[in-house]
Amino acid sequence: MSKIKKNKKNVFYDPSLKRRHFKSKLFKYFTLSSLIVSLAFLAIFFIDMVVKGSSAVQQTYVQVEVSYNEQSAENYRDAVDKKYLELLSRAVLREIPMQIKKNPSLLGTTKVAWMLADDQVDMYMKEYYYKISNKDLATLTELIENGRVEKKFNTIFFTHGDSKTPEYSGILSAMIGTILTLAVAMFVAFPIGVATAVYLEEFSEQNAWSEFLEVNINNLAAIPSILFGLLGLAIFINLFGFPRSSALVGGLTLALMTLPIIVVSSRAALRSVPATIRQAGYGLGLTKVQVVKDHVLPLAFPGIMTGSIIGLAHAMGETAPLIIVGMIAFIPDSPTSVMEAATVMPAQIFTWAGMPERAYIERTAAGILVLLTVLISLNAMAVYLRKKFEVKW
Amino acid sequence: MAKDKAKIVVKDLNLWYGDKHALHNLNIEIQKNKITALIGPSGCGKSTFLRCLNRMNDLISSVRVEGEVVIDGKNIYDKDVDEVSVRKRIGMVFQQPNPFPKSIYENVAYAPLKHGSVKKGSDCDDLVEQSLKSAGIWNEVKDILKEPGTGLSGGQQQRLCIARTIAVKPDVILMDEPTSALDPISTEKIEALMLELKKDYTIVIVTHNMQQAARIADMTAFFHLGDLIEYDETEKIFINPTHKKTEDYITGRFG
Amino acid sequence: MATFESKHRYAHLQEDVIKYLLILAATISILTTFGILFSIVFEAIEFFQLRSFVYFFTGTEWTPGVENSKFGALPIFAGTFMITAIAMAVALPIGLGSAIYMSEYASKNQRTILKPLLEILAGIPTVVYGFFAAITVAPFIVKISAAVGLEASFNSALASGVVMGIMIIPYISSLSDDVITAVPDSLRKGSLALGMTKSETIRDIVIPSALPGIISATLLGISKALGETMIVVMAAGLRPNLSWNLLEDMTTVTVRIVDALTGDQAFNSPATLSAFALGLALFFVTLVLNVVSVRMIKKFKEKYKMSSL
Ligand SMILES: Nc1ncnc2c1ncn2[C@@H]1O[C@H](COP(=O)(O)OP(=O)(O)OP(=O)(O)O)[C@@H](O)[C@H]1O
Ligand SMILES: [Mg+2]
Repeated sequence: MSKIKKNKKNVFYDPSLKRRHFKSKLFKYFTLSSLIVSLAFLAIFFIDMVVKGSSAVQQTYVQVEVSYNEQSAENYRDAVDKKYLELLSRAVLREIPMQIKKNPSLLGTTKVAWMLADDQVDMYMKEYYYKISNKDLATLTELIENGRVEKKFNTIFFTHGDSKTPEYSGILSAMIGTILTLAVAMFVAFPIGVATAVYLEEFSEQNAWSEFLEVNINNLAAIPSILFGLLGLAIFINLFGFPRSSALVGGLTLALMTLPIIVVSSRAALRSVPATIRQAGYGLGLTKVQVVKDHVLPLAFPGIMTGSIIGLAHAMGETAPLIIVGMIAFIPDSPTSVMEAATVMPAQIFTWAGMPERAYIERTAAGILVLLTVLISLNAMAVYLRKKFEVKW
Repeated sequence: MAKDKAKIVVKDLNLWYGDKHALHNLNIEIQKNKITALIGPSGCGKSTFLRCLNRMNDLISSVRVEGEVVIDGKNIYDKDVDEVSVRKRIGMVFQQPNPFPKSIYENVAYAPLKHGSVKKGSDCDDLVEQSLKSAGIWNEVKDILKEPGTGLSGGQQQRLCIARTIAVKPDVILMDEPTSALDPISTEKIEALMLELKKDYTIVIVTHNMQQAARIADMTAFFHLGDLIEYDETEKIFINPTHKKTEDYITGRFG
Repeated sequence: MATFESKHRYAHLQEDVIKYLLILAATISILTTFGILFSIVFEAIEFFQLRSFVYFFTGTEWTPGVENSKFGALPIFAGTFMITAIAMAVALPIGLGSAIYMSEYASKNQRTILKPLLEILAGIPTVVYGFFAAITVAPFIVKISAAVGLEASFNSALASGVVMGIMIIPYISSLSDDVITAVPDSLRKGSLALGMTKSETIRDIVIPSALPGIISATLLGISKALGETMIVVMAAGLRPNLSWNLLEDMTTVTVRIVDALTGDQAFNSPATLSAFALGLALFFVTLVLNVVSVRMIKKFKEKYKMSSL
């Protein structure tokens, strides 16, 4: 018995290892917790935005009698019962005289209508902090009891531009501005970026010049975005005289920022086309340009598109340089050309975030949700494209 | 074979990579202060077996081991055995020299310092010197101890790795084709070194080189497709093998 | 024969034209860099003709709006430095820790999910981070500070620094994960075979081997932090403030650039031109950081003979 015990004695027992294993575990938990913290940040962030932005889906309306008469054609304050004036959106009331002017047959009629409520009423209905006088609050309570106050789907947010009254402001003009700006940016950056990539990958020899180009593009990608704003301001606006705040200037500025992303990803795409394809082309007696144009580029195209979409998404979220070139102007109506003053979604978010009224917070968060949805869709599209066309040579 | 001289006793060892049964029911006794060579065609499980002896297979998640590997009377696969302490006592040298990207000195001193077997200072300096001497590389590196170990030639790097292993003062040194990546002169040096080292250590070496096995090994084990076909004194294996397969293999009549 | 010749010549001409067009396109990237450099340098020179160069770097008073305006950028640099330091204090351990977990502990499948998930953090527009910092994090910090008897400003270096750190996490983790994964497995095995624990192997062998790459990632992160604009514009404040108190408001180079260029000052007033002097400083610092960062990663690639990274 005792002999067996002695034989079974654990010669590998090493008490000093206990501490080391404990430390090892601690280290593992440290790395795991840093990962969890990063992901928690991501989760908190998205939940926060959804919580803050979701109330913007609805907007409060109040049912009142609107009278179109001589007085209200002059002064909107006469269009509704005086006691409701503070409860209704000034922006909508102000349009009544204009409506009458446009459509004189309205004169002398009255209509019971759901009118957009003032932002403070909206805040009250959404149980946020509000500022309403006691008298108005009494009126409002009565209206609510009579079922004359309702929250409806907020179409205004998607059909209107910015406004000085929060309840009447929307993201539309910023969206149009974003589209125009990005159109300019891609129109410039895509051809130049792809051409640069083609030159570097297919035509240039490995020499000092191509190395210089390469280093340059690398550095370009690392320059803080705000400095591109300085460039846009000094060159496009002050030197070329392009209109300040315009989609043209914003787009050109973004184009230069997007350029390195497109160049780098296009080069990777071109490089992934196997040399045999080129050799086969040359074997047929084709010139270099023909080989690249007809055989290499089509094969590299999905990769180039993927990179360009990622570049586009990147440009879409950029704010700082656009602020510098003036794209934070107040833009109630959507721009119709690239020369007009415009704003973009992130700049609109920035503007709203700086507003004192509480009602802008939910609009800011809602704008953020819209922007993030577009960005995530774009990135998903890029990932999909990459997966779909991923070819293993 | 005298029982008291067995350093490692392997009993009914089976190993699976997922569903793949890679080692079949191995039984072998590896003797103390001898060089044991493992030979056999590629993919027969030599490296896999070697890694069983210091539980390096634990690093591969798909691996499942059954059976016993008893070293100094203790099965290293027992629940109460810590694989880290196994590896402290059973050192390993790899096919590709893999010095750490640190100085030559640190390469050797790293593990003993961590294990707490020496303290920084002259004790440590002595251990480094002694280990490098045992590995037969001291004269070549004594003036460049501060330089990175990765700057040495392949053969020197391999001897540095051996020095690094010796510094931990293991009982057994496992070597997986330690010379296959080296030139003939370096190979010769390392073979001479092994013959020197077997006085103090039990050595198990995997080799594809029949001459090498014949030159240095006391015992030789022939593996084939996960089976241990034959295990005997090297001379016996090379001159008068019992099994046809062994003979075919060592005479080069094998695929 | 003749037609063949002319066709040939035409094709040749076409080749040349296309080639020159491509070169022209490639030149634009260079023009952009120089465009940025010159547009900033010229305006900065103009600024330094109006105001002292030495005082700009050593002065502690920044009063652009008033008569006899002063432009000592030291508090601005200090604020930038403080916020960057806070950001890196958040991003470096968390980013590196995440990278180590992903590359050393997570399974391959987990890694393919975790990595893109973390990279979402890098895709969130900075204006969104700014809003998050100003509306969620800053009030939270004010509340917490009040609870422990400290007074925090609603615009605080801490709020903007922390949020900036979150933004930078993926820049650190992604590149670090790449270089750690690229460290050859034979080194890990060599260490484990000596009886080292896994964490000892990671800390003593893997991380030092990947160090050039990790330093490169860190420099990139610092450069991102220095140039980050929206978060600080929305959450750090405008006041040049030379202070060690993280709970106070501070301003940064980028904030002052935005402020100088969105005000209604005349373009060639020193107040406006000061933006370009600040921009020049930012340009050089980030350029140096980037060049060193690229060098480091190149060194790492050469060390392990890697072609892609
Ligand atoms: N990590 C692993 N996962 C799955 N199967 C493996 C793994 N490593 C080895 N194998 C398989 O186990 C068998 C034995 O492999 P092992 O590497 O031990 O052979 P070997 O005798 O060392 O060969 P060689 O002489 O080529 O080094 C082979 O069929 C191999 O494919
Ligand atoms: Mg092997």
